[in-house]
Amino acid sequence: MSDHALTERPVVYNDAVVKKFVVASLFWAIVAFLVGCYIAAELTWPTLNLGLSFTNFGRLRPVHTSAAIFAFGGSALLGTSFYVVQRTCRARLFGGEALASFVFWGYQFFIVMAALSYVMGFSQSKEYAEPEWHLDLWLTIVWVCYLLIFLGTIMKRSEPHIYVANWFYLAFIITIAVLHIVNNAAIPISFYSAKSYSAYAGVQDALVQWWYGHNAVGFFLTAGFLGMMYYFIPKAAGRPVYSYRLSIVHFWTLIFIYIWAGPHHLHWTALPDWTQTLGMAFSIMLWMPSWGGMINGIMTLSGAWDKLRTDPGLRFSVTAVGFYGMSTFEGPVMSVREVNALSHYTDWTIGHVHSGALGWVAFIVFGSLYYLIPVLWNRKALYSVRLVAWHYWIATLGIVLYIVAMWVAGIMEGLMWRAYDKFGFLQYSFVESVVAIHPFFVIRLLGGVFFLIGGLLMVFNVFMTITSESTERPRERLIAPAVLAGA
Amino acid sequence: MENNVSDLVVGLMMAVFGLVGLFLVAGAADAEMYIFGIALSGFAILFDLGLIKRYHDRRDEARAAARGNTHV
Repeated sequence: MSDHALTERPVVYNDAVVKKFVVASLFWAIVAFLVGCYIAAELTWPTLNLGLSFTNFGRLRPVHTSAAIFAFGGSALLGTSFYVVQRTCRARLFGGEALASFVFWGYQFFIVMAALSYVMGFSQSKEYAEPEWHLDLWLTIVWVCYLLIFLGTIMKRSEPHIYVANWFYLAFIITIAVLHIVNNAAIPISFYSAKSYSAYAGVQDALVQWWYGHNAVGFFLTAGFLGMMYYFIPKAAGRPVYSYRLSIVHFWTLIFIYIWAGPHHLHWTALPDWTQTLGMAFSIMLWMPSWGGMINGIMTLSGAWDKLRTDPGLRFSVTAVGFYGMSTFEGPVMSVREVNALSHYTDWTIGHVHSGALGWVAFIVFGSLYYLIPVLWNRKALYSVRLVAWHYWIATLGIVLYIVAMWVAGIMEGLMWRAYDKFGFLQYSFVESVVAIHPFFVIRLLGGVFFLIGGLLMVFNVFMTITSESTERPRERLIAPAVLAGA
Repeated sequence: MENNVSDLVVGLMMAVFGLVGLFLVAGAADAEMYIFGIALSGFAILFDLGLIKRYHDRRDEARAAARGNTHV
């Protein structure tokens, strides 16, 4: 912080909207984990479909993915971005309370309406972009308001420098807007009907969808959470970012390379070979900028490694960066066409996605929230550090069970599907591969239940932190509502 | 000042969304659009009522603060 900043009058930050997003994020985390466990059980014991259209796997699966990515992850991203941009720019959110409130409630409205529409059977059948046209339009309006607030706050900042976390958040906001609008271009059959048809057809539709799908991973689940990492790890560790230069270099390389990698989702399809190769080449190149972020996150702990023993919240963040490194190595490997021939359509992909979603996304959110919650609610500390440690170990065990089960199941499926007998016939029928992976589906469910239990422990801990008398600051040390920048 | 302008712009925007919701309900060709329309109207009304409440809360706070200052 510059010296002149300290002499200026304090800024009163809008933390009310941040608090709402934090609470929403925790609520949706439990919903996402719960529905995830239920559909994992449905896959294991299909009678749990209950014979109802509303509870079948096809309808509940997008409820799970949207609740995890957009509701849990999205609420955490929007909330922390509002927190970070105010602190690092030393400016109150642009647009007043009403606009920030609209972004919060409008986003929650979108999530609830999208979940309802999935359960009712309305879907564009585009993975991670299932909502129909009217909900897409609504999300566009909310997202533009979000961009307006974020950009406006940066533009009215008191600090001359734009901290690197804001670069990542801004890339996330702008790119998601572009991806969302282009991929969801559709023609409704009527203004009064939820049914629409995509503006694209055939392989072009598939390419646009996976350009969107992969960059939803790249910009929603990576860039946004890297923004979170670049603020909360240095804060929790009490150390500056290891290399600011590396953060800028890996930001621009990540942004440039990610956008080309989508075609690796369409290996061995009608997509032209050269396009598949292009996607594969860029996916492999992506390894380096991804690891640039990982190295920067982990090395920020230099000189503060001892804190991992005493601060399980920080342990979450650092483990998240480890999982980020692991899944961004696994991803390029799986994008190689020959490896993809084995892995595609198998549960290996599900394992890969969850090592990223649980290990990276959820863990970096947990780590950030464990730091943020006592600060936001002006509490002296968390209610129980021991519970955070329990959460950490239960959730880690859950992830290990999940991803190992899916690796084994996936590779086994891939090998069984390609096995030939001496006469040149397929050695196994499809149902034999389903029977073979059944035990691993049970283990996966167990991993999910562990993760859910960890989430419930966190909710209890957070609730007690906010409400318990034991976490209250002594009266004389109460901080005035006007919080100085850098707090 | 910023809050008042924000209240006005967002409030008007929500009023328009509420009306759009009513149109959607009126002509809905399927259950999804019917539910979306009703929910949008309800959301817009509640949001605007919330804005009005917060506006008056702010005025009450300002009045109370002014009264407190006078007494001191």
